[in-house]
Amino acid sequence: MILEVLTPDEVLFKGNVTQVILPGLDGSFGILDSHAPLISALSKGAVKVDQNATENKSFKGRLNIENKANNSFTFDINGGVVEVNDNKILVLAE
Amino acid sequence: MANLKEIRNRIVSVSSTMQITSAMKMVSAAKLKRAQDAITLMRPYADKLQDILTNLSASLDTSENEYAQERAIKNVLIIPVTSNRGLCGGFNNYVVKKALHIANVKYAAYNTTVFPIGKKAADTFKKTAHYGNSEAIVKEGSEIWGDLNFANANDMASKIMEAYVNGSFDKVVFVYNKFKNVATQIVTEVQFLPILPPVQTENSVKNTASADYIFEPSKAEIITELIPKSLKTQFYTILLESHAGEHGARMTAMHKATDNATELNKELKLKYNQARQAAITNEILEIVGGAEALNG
Repeated sequence: MILEVLTPDEVLFKGNVTQVILPGLDGSFGILDSHAPLISALSKGAVKVDQNATENKSFKGRLNIENKANNSFTFDINGGVVEVNDNKILVLAE
Repeated sequence: MANLKEIRNRIVSVSSTMQITSAMKMVSAAKLKRAQDAITLMRPYADKLQDILTNLSASLDTSENEYAQERAIKNVLIIPVTSNRGLCGGFNNYVVKKALHIANVKYAAYNTTVFPIGKKAADTFKKTAHYGNSEAIVKEGSEIWGDLNFANANDMASKIMEAYVNGSFDKVVFVYNKFKNVATQIVTEVQFLPILPPVQTENSVKNTASADYIFEPSKAEIITELIPKSLKTQFYTILLESHAGEHGARMTAMHKATDNATELNKELKLKYNQARQAAITNEILEIVGGAEALNG
């Protein structure tokens, strides 16, 4: 599935991922492949992303990479909103 | 031949002015490119946010939101967005004029306060009665152009929104230059607060209404989260548009100035050559006259 992280200043990340863990208003939740359509508000916190080992790591912008091991990385957001539809995750982060 | 020297001096001064204006034009062109890129990067975010919000508010009444409540109008905040620097044609003048008109005519019955963004508006409104702000706030309003990014715009938008929510103002209006293209900026007045109900476009219905969404936590809570975000995004968009417009206007103004200087230079060169030729003809006449006198 495709993850796209947009901020007002830039496209933070765009690429294929296997799992995303997001900081929801009522606690963290994960999104896996073929998730049902969802719109959720996000609070301040860390977003954790897992990728396939074969995936090409092309980070755009100022992605705050804390842990590149195990093909996963995290970055902090200041709240936002997420829309999941058609195996496409769109995170509007601040 | 004092006349010759005078013209030569003018040619030199016009040429050096031309160098300055054409350099400024190139600087503005580069800055315009950057400003336009920022708008392009901003657009997907703003569009998507608007889509989701429109979709949500279609099924929910948002008029109860603290940013949407219509109150009896007593205090109006007018925010003219101008640049810090001049030499950009009528760019700032139009905004200031329109803001003055709004303050003195349209909202004359209410208490109007002006919070100028950019030095040019601040300079004008310092002299008017609408000016209820301290120097510190004005400084802040001008400094936003030094480092224009979302975080800074966010801070300022939060303060404006807070002033609305705590009742200091019942209406907030922006006057700014909307960027149409490099040569054209449209002076626009837009109501920032209270927010107007979003207009549902065909496109947004198509984009979001097709799927049966799960809402987490609830629709109402998401909307409460999203409305301030959308306001901040709107504020940032206004700043970005005005920023791009400023450089567009300056580029156009400097282009015209360079053209005028080129024209002037051509005329001066023609005059210079005419004067030079006249001087030579005069000299020849004198020599011929002298020779004739000797021969005679």
